[in-house]
Amino acid sequence: MTIKKTTIVGQSFQRVESNAKVTGAAQYVDDLQFGPNLLHGRLKRSPLPHALIKRIDVSKAKALPGVRVVVTGQDYPGLTGLYLSDRPIFAVDRVRFVGEPVAGVAAETPELAEKACDLIEVEYEELPGVFDPEYGASPEAPLIHPNLGEYACAPFIFRRPGTNISNWFKVRKGNMEQGWAEADYIYEHTYRVPQVQHVPLETHATVAQVDGNGKITLWSSSQSPFAQRNLIAKSLGISHSKLRVITPYVGGGFGSKAGVSMEGACVAMALKAKGRPVKLVMSRAEEFYTTFVRQGLVAKIKMGMTKDGRITAMQNTYYWDAGAYTEYGVNITRAAGYSSTGPYYVPNVHADSLCVYTNHPIGGAMRGFGMPEIHWAIEQHIDRMAEHLGLDPVQVRLLNCLKDGQETVTGMPMHPTGLSQCIQKAAEAIGWGKPSQPSGPHKRRGKGIAAMWKAPAMPPNPGSAATIRFNEDGTCLVNIGGVDMGQGTLTIAAQLAAEGLGIPIEDVRVNTVDTDYSPYEWQTVASRITWSMGNAILAAAEEAKMQIIQMVAEVWGENPQDLDIIDGNVVSFATEESIPLKNIVVYGMQKPDGTWVGGPVVGKGRFMPTYVTPLDPETGQGPRAVVHFTTGAQAAEVEVDEETGEVRVIKLVSAYDVGKAINPDMVKTQMEGGAVQGMSTALLEQIILKNGQPLNPTFTDYRIATAVDAPLEMEDIIVEVPQDDGPFGARGIGEHAMVPTAPAIANAVRAAVGVEIDSMPITSEKVWRALREKRGANGNR
Amino acid sequence: MQPFDYVKPKTLEEASALLLQHNGQARPFAGCTDLLIRIERGFLHPDVVVDIKALPGMREVAVQPDGHLRIGAAATMNQVALHPAVLERWPLLAEGCASVASYQLRNRATVGGNLCNASPAADSAPALLCYEAVAHIFGPAGQRSVPLEQFFLGPGKTVLERGELLTAITVPPPAPGAVGHFLKLGRTAVGDISVVSVAVLGWPDLGAPSGTSWHIALGAVAPTPIRAAEAERLLGQDASPAGVEAASRAAAAAARPIDDIRASAAYRTDMVRVLTRRGVERVLAEMRAS
Repeated sequence: MTIKKTTIVGQSFQRVESNAKVTGAAQYVDDLQFGPNLLHGRLKRSPLPHALIKRIDVSKAKALPGVRVVVTGQDYPGLTGLYLSDRPIFAVDRVRFVGEPVAGVAAETPELAEKACDLIEVEYEELPGVFDPEYGASPEAPLIHPNLGEYACAPFIFRRPGTNISNWFKVRKGNMEQGWAEADYIYEHTYRVPQVQHVPLETHATVAQVDGNGKITLWSSSQSPFAQRNLIAKSLGISHSKLRVITPYVGGGFGSKAGVSMEGACVAMALKAKGRPVKLVMSRAEEFYTTFVRQGLVAKIKMGMTKDGRITAMQNTYYWDAGAYTEYGVNITRAAGYSSTGPYYVPNVHADSLCVYTNHPIGGAMRGFGMPEIHWAIEQHIDRMAEHLGLDPVQVRLLNCLKDGQETVTGMPMHPTGLSQCIQKAAEAIGWGKPSQPSGPHKRRGKGIAAMWKAPAMPPNPGSAATIRFNEDGTCLVNIGGVDMGQGTLTIAAQLAAEGLGIPIEDVRVNTVDTDYSPYEWQTVASRITWSMGNAILAAAEEAKMQIIQMVAEVWGENPQDLDIIDGNVVSFATEESIPLKNIVVYGMQKPDGTWVGGPVVGKGRFMPTYVTPLDPETGQGPRAVVHFTTGAQAAEVEVDEETGEVRVIKLVSAYDVGKAINPDMVKTQMEGGAVQGMSTALLEQIILKNGQPLNPTFTDYRIATAVDAPLEMEDIIVEVPQDDGPFGARGIGEHAMVPTAPAIANAVRAAVGVEIDSMPITSEKVWRALREKRGANGNR
Repeated sequence: MQPFDYVKPKTLEEASALLLQHNGQARPFAGCTDLLIRIERGFLHPDVVVDIKALPGMREVAVQPDGHLRIGAAATMNQVALHPAVLERWPLLAEGCASVASYQLRNRATVGGNLCNASPAADSAPALLCYEAVAHIFGPAGQRSVPLEQFFLGPGKTVLERGELLTAITVPPPAPGAVGHFLKLGRTAVGDISVVSVAVLGWPDLGAPSGTSWHIALGAVAPTPIRAAEAERLLGQDASPAGVEAASRAAAAAARPIDDIRASAAYRTDMVRVLTRRGVERVLAEMRAS
């Protein structure tokens, strides 16, 4: 790969849509106007975590004046799902979590729709529930999906019909007996992570309408307009060409708006609305437990280490609290399996990652896709073992972390990686080994570090496409299928197009997604867009550029290799001739003989990884499990109040190998946003569930960190070891930024006051309780 | 959200009559930062909301000729927290009001609403209890006044009878040399409901064995905001470090908290001890310094 000098890539341009967002001009789904014809949708939801539906009576709801549509699972019995088709649009004969939709109503006003929902009578026969994944995986647990074996399923998902296990990813590598024999210290421990929610600023919002030709348009606040088109078309048995998904600006996703959650219900209601548009917007409470949440985890880690700190073996069992439907979650379980050791070279591995159905909210993609959860366990475990052996946690990580060419847990040789650099730089920036002074009495300070890795988790062949069209004035339109949900896709697209074409960034306009006009993009997930879509844009730019250069070369009678486009002008290095792009990119050019050449310039590009291989179902081994890993480390300094248990994060350092920072400021804001979100999950966040009932679906009692809770100081370090197939060497950073935050903070808390918190979040009360236990029950009172 | 009628009466008599007429289905409406949420979530279904903000004196904060502070029941948290006289003479109250929710919400939320909701965690209440504030009530039988300590009956319950509304709070001037602090423990730095709160007010008192007298009030650890009388008495006896520790334990003993999703009773009880001790130490240090 040759990387030429860049003028636009590597510069921190202001976000291209920031003006529209700051002034309020940017339109989100809820801002779109549909006039007085608009119907308002509401969903009738299950109050029970697990029950058979004996009877649904919608007659009173239908009789209510102003109610136009009432639909139930009987109307749409089809199942859908990204990797495993286990999810109905409305429950058909059984409800599996509190909040599951059993019916939908569209009415003239939201109040009427709500009232109609109240009038729907549902008779249930309650069933015993599963509220713990370890129990759920046991033979005693009641079955949540008796038909698991009949669902359509991706070939790389290994379900166990007759159990609640919808995917079981195994790693069997090396020789465990030898690994334990070589160890001087073997430590085994269990860690827990609760379900949490993404809390995007904008909740899920959709409007659907069917026109006179039966064509359906869905306006959707989505990370996955194309995946939504695909899944909804398939579940309704209609042609993809009959469904159009439009995604305007999106107010945050963090994974919650990946795939399909409530969008199918909106389309289902619109299909019976006689051409009237139907709007369905989630309330904040609905957002908390009815769309997607992050899966919970029970992680059992057993690790062997030599007295000089080398990891000899790992036996890890991950029980995922995947919720009522695991259509997306099965692949999180898989990702956790092929990343199960963390970013370390471990010769002997026995890992089981089990996706377990529970009667909890539905687990889906969330920033990190299983990695924050498993690193919570692995990275604390390493620190505890290092302390037992009297070793420095930074040195232990440097010793074991994957180096170029070493085998990963699935047998893939690690590509060039800046992981060691990230660990070193994070440690240095936090002042590793240098104690700092607490701010007052009863306060103690400590520092902690954690490393991470994460690969884009996706099918082996997710594709991206892009087109570039020129306007008469020499500006261009870039069409992409990637969604900007706040992470900067539009800006990255503009920078890459401008760099690839040789025109100023001001001359590039990037469109939001409309599946009828935008080229295909699998989904905006997995931190894959800058890398994958970026490659498609560069290919499109190259094609457009060649169309222009060949045209000019022909007219000028020059060799195309002597021409380039610089700052919006075609220039010749041979003759020093120059011509602006204006007009020629649409009208073509007149040759000396009076005839014409060229025409409207349209560049198209695509990208799809072709080299990922299947893994053996029994050993998890294969030549290439994933496209690549982004690696990094975070270091935290905390101050703990020994009396109240409060934890204040003083400083958080993030260091990641992003391959190439296309826009360094945006990379840094990803790191900071991830650090704050990671800190928030570390200290505060948890969906509190009691027998499947969510107890805190409001911001009153689901607290998230705000600006005043953010670390007092943040430092962001960019490491650039280029990715061989990344645009200018770039890899993703969106999710990675919160992966090691929680264990780094936990390790810092442990360093400060010597207590170990096995279960996230590290609440003040947990620290207080652990401190009391440490002092002895009667020590202080 | 269920529809309701909105009425904005001009006189206290009219407001009281409206509250009576609707057979308990009318709710007074001030900042609406709690009421609207409860209606939206379906916890309350009023037919009528009675906007009390136009009633005479409801939005005023002023020092009366007798030196008492008068806070109209619809005065906002920010009005009180930023009022020069409050900052100078009742700073403990300013601290309590300033700790409520966010700045934007404090532009709407009212002290009267905070008290009438009768949440055990009402952050304006502990300071007002320390200052021995008085609640002034208007109703069908006319005016009456109740010491704030007797105003709360339980979570969500006050002495207000049907047709009655809170019109004002008056706060007597504190003793000369009084120093107060409000300590609030929440899960996040700003905007959380108190897990535990403690207001401490101390002043020099040559008649007391310790040379100081104290008022201490606790929030979120009993069915209502409460005074910690035994802790106050002990500090009057002995304000040495040992006395402070004993008083802090007495405050913890006065707490009757519950387990809920915010914290356990055991944690809350111990936090009363910690916050009381810290509050008293801080007040003592400032009293010594002045």
